[in-house]
Amino acid sequence: MKLILEVITPIKVILKEEVDEITIPTVNGEISILPGHIDLFTKITRGEMIIRRNNKIEPFAIMGGFLEVTKNHVNILADYAAHVNDIEIARVEQAKERAEKAMKEKDKELGYEQLQDDIRRAALQLKIAKKHKSHSRTS
Amino acid sequence: MATLLTLKRRIKTAKNVSKTTKAMQMISASKLKKAQDAATSSKPYVEKLDVLSKNLAQKIDSDNLHDYMKTPNVNSKLVIVISPDKGLSGGLVTNLIKEVIHQGSQAKTYYITIGKKAEIAVSLLNKEIVASFPFGSTIPGFETVYPIAKIINEYFLDKKVSEVNIISTKFANVFTQIPHATKLLPVKLDTETKDNNAVTLFEPSVGDLLPDLLQHYLEMVIYQSFLESYASEQAARMIAMKNATDNALGIISELQLEYNKTRQEKITNELLDIGGGSQIAYEQ
Repeated sequence: MKLILEVITPIKVILKEEVDEITIPTVNGEISILPGHIDLFTKITRGEMIIRRNNKIEPFAIMGGFLEVTKNHVNILADYAAHVNDIEIARVEQAKERAEKAMKEKDKELGYEQLQDDIRRAALQLKIAKKHKSHSRTS
Repeated sequence: MATLLTLKRRIKTAKNVSKTTKAMQMISASKLKKAQDAATSSKPYVEKLDVLSKNLAQKIDSDNLHDYMKTPNVNSKLVIVISPDKGLSGGLVTNLIKEVIHQGSQAKTYYITIGKKAEIAVSLLNKEIVASFPFGSTIPGFETVYPIAKIINEYFLDKKVSEVNIISTKFANVFTQIPHATKLLPVKLDTETKDNNAVTLFEPSVGDLLPDLLQHYLEMVIYQSFLESYASEQAARMIAMKNATDNALGIISELQLEYNKTRQEKITNELLDIGGGSQIAYEQ
């Protein structure tokens, strides 16, 4: 028995496939979902989502959204999600610097909350990418 | 000859027009690509969110209902109309306004307009506009949704209106854009398929999750309407401008033909004159 996982963000459908296990941060702490899980509805927070498929581990950066489990179907609606291999450290660092600079100069157009969001996202991407980048090629 | 000069002027005008419309067509075409991507990429998200909200709504007891799901007992409506700021987009605005008139009812209706065209049309209809926003000429950012959601909350949660509708143009494809009215609030419950046996765990609790989910749902539906309106505007303009360019080219070729004929006629007449003149001179 496997879980059918769908991860959707406003920008694109990140993945739609069968997996063995999902570990994800929620508002009540990190949870792992295995096949046969009770129906569940919860909110997810910023952090690292790990998918296990055929004993291979795939890390993702994920931010805010909702998680629903219904009869082995897992639907994740996230504000943002990206596979660790899709995160480019150099670009993220640039984006973070830009956002921080804009924040210092009090960019009215983007607004404080938007910038803070950008910085948080960049920090998360960096953390997860740096943690996994070294051995992600082999896994 | 005066007609030759006028024809020449008219050809020049038509050429200038065709250049302008061609340029506008190109601009819309390039904007359309991005707009279409944005509109289609967020569609699965919104659809899933819709399913999720409705699923969740089925699983809760009637006394746990969120205010978004209850129908306040007042006879008035709030309607949000989304239109472009600029015209030159074929029948897009006209069709949208027709839908607005079609949706009009006896009940007291408040309007929120987005886009200059909607603002003008709704004020001409002598309706009450509570807020008006510009649409802008680029892909609208998500932050444009917040003030609108805030006004909706003010009206709906304070029980000033019993329903909230949104009238916007749905992007079917490049050639078809359909004006469409969507009921935003109250969130309709699909009670038919209510499944009381399924046990669902809510973490932290329904009371904490539901407001967040529904608020997010509301914002996303509005945003999706924005994106589709934008894509529709660009598509409609591209097609309208393509037709205008084709028409201008048609006129140019007609005028050119007319010009050539007139010119030829003039030369023939001159030759006849010369011929006639020399004949007389010879006879004398």
